[in-house]
Formats: sequence, C-alpha cells, structure tokens
Amino acid sequence: MAEKYRHLYVIIEHEDGELLPVSLEMIGEARRLLDGFNSKYSSNEKVVAVILGHNIKDISKQLIEYGADAVIYADDPELKDIRNTIYTKVIGQIAQDTKSLGEIESEYASEIKRPRYMFFAADSVGRHLSSTVLVELESGLASDINQLVIEDIEMSHQQKTGGKKETYEKTLKMYRPDFSGFLWTTILCLDNRNPAFKRDYHPQSCSIIPGVFEPLKPDSLREGKIIEFTPTIDEQDLKVKVLSRQIIKSVVDFDTPRTIVSFGRGIKDDPEQNIKLVENLAKELNAEIGVTLPISKKPYTVSQALDSKYMIPDRVIGTSGHKTSAMLYVAAGVSGAMQHVWGMKDSGFVVAINPDEDAPIKNECDVFIKGRMEDVIPLLIEEIKKQIQIVEA
Amino acid sequence: MGDLNIAVIIKLEPDFSEGNVSYNPDGTLNRAETKNTLGPHSGIAAHAAFFGKVMYDAKVSIVTMGPPIADLALKQAQQISDAEELHLYSDRLFAGADTLGTAEVLRVGIEKIQQKMDIVFSGHRASDGETGQTGPQTAWKLGFTFLGNVISYSVDLETRTIRAKRLISLQGSPNVIEEVEAPLPVFISIDPTYKSSYNTISQRLAFQKYKKEAIQRANTFKDYLKVFNAKELGVDETLVGLPGSPTIVYKVERVPKSTATRRAEVIDGTDPEQIRKVVAKMKEALEAMVIK
Repeated sequence: MAEKYRHLYVIIEHEDGELLPVSLEMIGEARRLLDGFNSKYSSNEKVVAVILGHNIKDISKQLIEYGADAVIYADDPELKDIRNTIYTKVIGQIAQDTKSLGEIESEYASEIKRPRYMFFAADSVGRHLSSTVLVELESGLASDINQLVIEDIEMSHQQKTGGKKETYEKTLKMYRPDFSGFLWTTILCLDNRNPAFKRDYHPQSCSIIPGVFEPLKPDSLREGKIIEFTPTIDEQDLKVKVLSRQIIKSVVDFDTPRTIVSFGRGIKDDPEQNIKLVENLAKELNAEIGVTLPISKKPYTVSQALDSKYMIPDRVIGTSGHKTSAMLYVAAGVSGAMQHVWGMKDSGFVVAINPDEDAPIKNECDVFIKGRMEDVIPLLIEEIKKQIQIVEA
Repeated sequence: MGDLNIAVIIKLEPDFSEGNVSYNPDGTLNRAETKNTLGPHSGIAAHAAFFGKVMYDAKVSIVTMGPPIADLALKQAQQISDAEELHLYSDRLFAGADTLGTAEVLRVGIEKIQQKMDIVFSGHRASDGETGQTGPQTAWKLGFTFLGNVISYSVDLETRTIRAKRLISLQGSPNVIEEVEAPLPVFISIDPTYKSSYNTISQRLAFQKYKKEAIQRANTFKDYLKVFNAKELGVDETLVGLPGSPTIVYKVERVPKSTATRRAEVIDGTDPEQIRKVVAKMKEALEAMVIK
C-alpha cells in the first residue's frame, strides 16, 4: 500500500571523524524496531541515516555496517561547524527531498512525502536541533526517550479525534522517565483527525538518551545505498561564525576515577554537614562526587561554596546526567529512582547507605548499610583510614 | 532607554526546595501540596538579561504563558532583571499545550512587544517538564538565530553583533567551549553554569543602581504587568493549546520495579565490626589501585 510517510530517519552525530556512540546506538534500535515493523506489517521500510559535515563520505559507510539500509549525506565545507540554523534547514530539506526518498525506494517515489519517524540524540547538539527541525517540519517531538514501541493504537480523544474512536496505525510509543524518576510517561505524536482542525503531524520524532540502547555488531558484508544530497545554504546564515573551539577539562570527571561517592536527598537533616561528610569520604577514597537529579535542583540552602560545587546538573548520575561504570560506587542517602539507577548500575561493587530498608536502592547494591549517613560515614572513614591506602593514579 | 531590547521567557514551576516540595508516599511529586516559584533555570535567564541591562542599558521584558498565578514568577524575575514590561499569556485555550503549541503563544507575544527584540533568553529547561524544547522552538518560530548552552556573552552595539561562549558536552568526548559570533537578533538558551561578571567600578555601580530599582519595581510589579488572553494576543486558535500540539501524553505509569540486579547483604551501620568487613570488601573491589 502506498503511503505518504515511510522510513525511519536517524540524525547522526560525529566528532573529529568519529561517529558518536549514541549514533550507533540509535541505528541499532532503529534496525530492531523496523525489523519488527516490517515483519508485522509485511512492509519494507528502511532505516536511513542522515549525516552532515565535511569530508564525511568515509564514515558514512560505517553506518551501513552498523545497520542502516541507506545513508543520505550532505558534505560541504560550510557544514564543518554545527550551526543550528544551517543544520536545521539542511535536515529540513533532506526530510522533504522526494528525490532521495525515490532513490531509497523507487516503488513509492511518487506518493511519499516525508519520513514516518525521526530520531535525534538527546545531547547538547541533538536536543536543540530536534526542537528546531520539528518546528520547521511542523510536527511533534518527545525528548529524552529510553524505550520505544511501534503499535496500532485505538483511541478516542476529545481534541485529536473529536471524540470519535479511531485507530492510529504504526504509532511510535515514546517512553520517557519523568523528573522524579518514579514515573514513566508515554508520549504519542498523532495527526489531528478532528474535522475542526485536521492536520498531519509527521514525522513522529524523539530524542534518545545516549547510552540507553545497544549498537549492533558491525557487519562489513551489509549492503546499503549511499546517497549524496547537495544542500542549499542561505548566504545570510553564513554570518553566524564559529570563532574558536577549545577543549576544556570538566570540573567533574566521572570517567577516570575508579570510585564515585554520590549523595541524594538523604542529606536533608543537616545538608551542610552531610555534604562535608560525603566530601571527606570521597577524599579518603580518592573518589569523584556525584548527585541525584533532585539535588541538582538545589532543594536545600547550603553555603555558596558547597552549593555551586555540588548542587549542579554536571554532577548528576542518571538518565539526565552521566552514566558510570566505576569499580566502587557508594550511594549515600540515595533512594534509587530508576533514572539514577540507570546511571550507576554498571558499577563494579555498590555500597548503599540508607536508613530505609524499603528504598529501591537495596535492589541495586551489593552491601546495604542500614543507617543514617551521619552515623555511618564517620565509622566508614575511620575504618578506611586503617585499611585502605589510595595510590594516586 | 538603551538601544538594546531583551526579552526573557520564564516559567512558573514546582518549588523543589525543602519545606516547599511535597512528595507522595510512592516518591512522585504531590502537585497539590507543592508550592510554585520561578523555575531555577528561568532565574538564570533573568540574570543574563540583567547583565544586558547593566552593561548595555538594555530594556528588559519578561514573558510567560501560564495560569493567573504565574504572575508570581514574573514578579520574581523582575526582581532579578529590573524588567520594565511583564507579559502574562493566560487562557484556558492554551492549557494542555505541548512545546510546539507553547512556542506559538510565546512567539506571538514577543512579536507584540512594541520594540523589536534583539535578544531573547530562555532557561536551559524547566525543572518539571524537562524537555528543553520550548526555547529553541520559539527561536525558530521567531526566525532568530538560536544559540544554546550559552555561558557568557557580549554585545557590540555598533555592529549589532553578539559574541557568545557555548558549553558543548557530547557523550564520550571532552567538553568544548565554542565561541560564536552572530548578527542580532538572536535567541539564547542559558546554560546552568552561566555567571554574570561585573569587573569595573562603573559596572558595579550600575549593578547596584539597577538592583535597587529592580526591587522597587517588583514591589509594585502589577504596574508593569499586562495580561493577554488568546483573543487579545490574536493567536490562531488551531496553532495553540491542544489543537496546536502534535503530541499527547498517552499514559503515565509507575516505572516497573526492576527485578533486583544484585542481592544486597544488609548490615547494621552502627556496628563497627560489620563496617570493618564492608571496608574489607570495598578494598577488595579496588584491589587494582590499592596497596597495603
């Protein structure tokens, strides 16, 4: 059956000639989803990787090896730097380019208008790019997704269907953990079928949390089409210039240290003193300090020095922050919301300090020290001083 | 009035500070019992606008879409930024909007301000919705150059250009600070690490003066406040609220309890002997990096 919308486009990110891991993760998930889709609907829709940049043809091939059916690449010196306006317009052009859609699959070339689905990375580039591209394409976007399912959905909705029961076929269910980490919200992007304001909303799009999905093993025998797209770049947009790029050492480093000590709302009885306790414990273990998402929202008043050093998004371990695989992970006063657990579950040995034995963190640790951090951490420090001597790396 | 016009998009959000926030027994936010306040990232955006006031004598306007009680957030933002104009876009028709439907209201509202905007600021993301989409989507609708994650900026009023530093962090790569130059107008979403710095005496004096003025203004914030409903704004009703929202929240569910990935040994945290054993295990785990 001919349809106006086909295929899943994945917007690829790369840096210094290397594909970012999230790009391969997105391709892997796209492959799994569309394989299921194609067998369920007896269809033959494609995973299409879209990549912009300069001198990128070589890395385009890798995208086929990792699971894409086709790659559309735009190679231009003006695409070397990522400038939001230019990138948004070029991705918008590619998404509506019927010529490349025809090259991917000639059979439906005359009917097809746009991709059915679109994936972006939920990072400093993809978050903003997805937002602007989806305004350009006048469709919907869900952010920070960690699970995807494609299904037919039968529903009646006051606004979407005018209260009538309708079936939305091939709907992408996009799951995102909410800010508390205890709730999971399913977002759908649906055409307005209400006769009062009919409007198509395609592609159905989302940004995907890096590190959530597994990439496929590369297969050098996989074949696919590599299609060049010649972008149209407005002269006016070239006035935005990238003057310099400077690599900086983050004040927070979750990659190098082998130990991370993190704290959560369990510091509440005496936030100032308890953060200092955590600091001392981290010092003994030569550990970096992490926090839970609620802490980054500054729920407590503490001295300016501690506030600006610790209650910051940069220290968050979890789906809205970093993922770690530390050798030793100490969670002090952390309840264990899903979104935090995702960030620490790959750690080697996990110790939790918590007075509440019902806290979900108990399921995620090797040793659960039952007690208040005020009481437990001083004992730990004393004992560590006796037993462990850290050698600076 | 200076020849730089700044607007800030802000949001009234749940107040996550201790004593004001309330959680249900299952760990979810108890919205009915939780107080509301100016979102923390909105506050940082207001600080960035105040920097424009101190440095370039900019005229600052603050806009928000929300229920009538969102005027509280406008007042708080005025106290930070010394704004001269406060806009509240409030109508039942706007309710339930996703980011696209919200961005449309904000675009129409910002274009309604008498002066043409040179810079529009938004926060990094709201602490309740956390999508971070409304800022860039409003930017695109306005047709402004979007600059995200901005940590500092300076404006050249003669050439009408801005220079901004942006913090970019990508998975598996070291953080990068990128410096960009762009002609005005621009839309900036402010990075959480943004800090204003006032280095000269005249800057600090201007800071003091406007800070005082800001507090006075905020005391009578209603004198600066304009409230618009859908009709007064003149929005296309099919582009806002639920009809203008491609996405819906289909389901909210508790995150399924993951099956225990580890079997924890529970120990008593007040027993030094047990603590000694735990530390021995920690030591074992760290063996590769410790010596006796």
